[in-house]
Amino acid sequence: MKTIEEINQRIKDGDAVVVTAAEMTQIVKEDGADKAAKDIDVVTTGTFGAMCSSGAFLNFGHTDPPIKMTKSYLNGVEAYSGLAAVDSYIGATQPSKNPEIGIDYGGAHVIEDLIRGRDIELVASSYGTDCYPLTDLRTHINIDNLNEAIMVNPRNCYQNYASAVNSTDETIYTYMGTLLSNMGNVSFSSAGGLSPLLNDPYFQTIGMGTRIFLCGAEGYVIGEGTQHNTEVQRKNGVPVNGAGTLMLKGDMKQMDHEFVRGATMPKYGSTLYVGAGIPIPILNSDIASKTAISDEDIVCQVMDYGVPKRSKPIVVETNYKELRSGSIEINGVEIESSPLSSYKKALEIAEELKSWIDKGNFFLTNPVKLLASQGSSPGPLEIRRQTILVNEIKSKALIIASPNDDIRDVAKRMVQNNVNHLPVVDADQKLLGIVTSWDIANAVAKGKPMLKEVMTKKVVIAREDEPVDVIARRIDKHEISGMPIIDKNNRVMGMITAEDISRLMCARNREEGV
Amino acid sequence: MKAWLKFSPKMVNQAVITDLIKNFDVSFNILRADINPKGGKMLIEIKGSEAEKGITYIEKAGIDVSPVKRVVKKDKELCIDCGACVSLCPVKAISVDEDWAVDVNDEECIGCKLCTYSCPTKAIKVVE
Repeated sequence: MKTIEEINQRIKDGDAVVVTAAEMTQIVKEDGADKAAKDIDVVTTGTFGAMCSSGAFLNFGHTDPPIKMTKSYLNGVEAYSGLAAVDSYIGATQPSKNPEIGIDYGGAHVIEDLIRGRDIELVASSYGTDCYPLTDLRTHINIDNLNEAIMVNPRNCYQNYASAVNSTDETIYTYMGTLLSNMGNVSFSSAGGLSPLLNDPYFQTIGMGTRIFLCGAEGYVIGEGTQHNTEVQRKNGVPVNGAGTLMLKGDMKQMDHEFVRGATMPKYGSTLYVGAGIPIPILNSDIASKTAISDEDIVCQVMDYGVPKRSKPIVVETNYKELRSGSIEINGVEIESSPLSSYKKALEIAEELKSWIDKGNFFLTNPVKLLASQGSSPGPLEIRRQTILVNEIKSKALIIASPNDDIRDVAKRMVQNNVNHLPVVDADQKLLGIVTSWDIANAVAKGKPMLKEVMTKKVVIAREDEPVDVIARRIDKHEISGMPIIDKNNRVMGMITAEDISRLMCARNREEGV
Repeated sequence: MKAWLKFSPKMVNQAVITDLIKNFDVSFNILRADINPKGGKMLIEIKGSEAEKGITYIEKAGIDVSPVKRVVKKDKELCIDCGACVSLCPVKAISVDEDWAVDVNDEECIGCKLCTYSCPTKAIKVVE
């Protein structure tokens, strides 16, 4: 019905009609898709979210004498320099090499500081060659004296994304932010109806070479992003979870720090908030109807991030209208929800892109190749070394105690069996608490005769079907030395200790000849 | 008003707060508490027609009352209005306004600093 060339002519003539995706939802609702397709030329989208898979190629220029950098650090953050002599790639999630700073200042912060025009300390080293004799350098750079500063983000603008809750009884810190215990909050991260790839859900207009808004500058879609997935279940024509992704490129020298930000998810890592906006040309009524999608129509799966597995259980399905209302209902309980991506900034981006086109400063492009719309789904990384589960570990015969046992008897039992931990159970072998040899010493010192007076009632446990690596992390996190193994019926099956795990690691290393 | 009540060890066993609620027209909310036999402190919010009288009463009874002078501030330069803090606030002192900007309410804040710690851009500061 319309072509990109015709739309560009209208932009040139100042006649193009441009609206944001939020406005388009209303227009199609009132006028229908056919009329909207005639009236509207371009729909602008926007998103401003934490996109960890981001980074930048920097070319520093050659020194005299020259150096072929093999290691480079920008304000203490390592950039990859295994490419030629003076090119580096700084990745958003790389933490500072200074352990006291760590994730509080990472690659994402370096990128923001560069865009803000701040001076950055560059330290580099090399092995020295006949043509590149210099082996060390320390200097300062800024965006103006770099030859190129090109943002290249391997995976941005996830089409949709799960929201996160945490069912465990302790707060966890994730890339979805702080998740309170016992499903105390829900965190989501999508601009919903304003989001670029939800407005072109079958990639009818977006592809390699699509000109876009990237962090306040003109940028381009290079192609599908990594982990681009076309095979995700759809409802109302859009995927219900993370699906399509984009690889983006833009000139950092033209970018505006208002639309890009280095950030840190506490106890997780640094990440880059990237502002991206994509114009959708309204070529026909089918495309018009797709850009009418509203927050209410977009399903979002709520997943339990308390389960540290690749496929996390889906707790409930909701939509972005509910999520944005401030609370959603899970199992009859109202749970507060809040976004991780900024809807305010997303709207600003859609408006900014709209004004660029209105003023005739931005023209649409015909993509060289549309994004793949079928046959693409990322596979997992299989670890060659088999994951060992808790119930596969040979542990000692189960020694238990009852809450009313006398301390002296318990002490005797521990010595006889050479163990340091005893689970305390009831008549059905269900867990009531745990005692360690330290607790026994403590009881003797304070003259307490009964086990139940000294046992720890809040016990960290291991499930039979959990991988041992997960247990090792749990032991480390809680600074404990062992935990009871519990079966599906909450009965105590044994104990797993730090010693068991170190023995397992030694055996594994011996087998592999490490 | 919000205030920290400081209990000396000898005050721990006395039912001053019970008497306050029984004898004065006040509504009383415990926001934070950390009291053991060695004494401790409690953050309270007290409202009602006799709030001031009530405070005078507990001060006379031997509890040290220090009204909270706290400023919770959002740094507009740093804040990107994402809203990650909103669902973390235990007293709903943070909200998203009609323009999708994040608002921090000084009156409601109890100074737990969960938002300060969790803010991706470190844009919220609590000064006591």
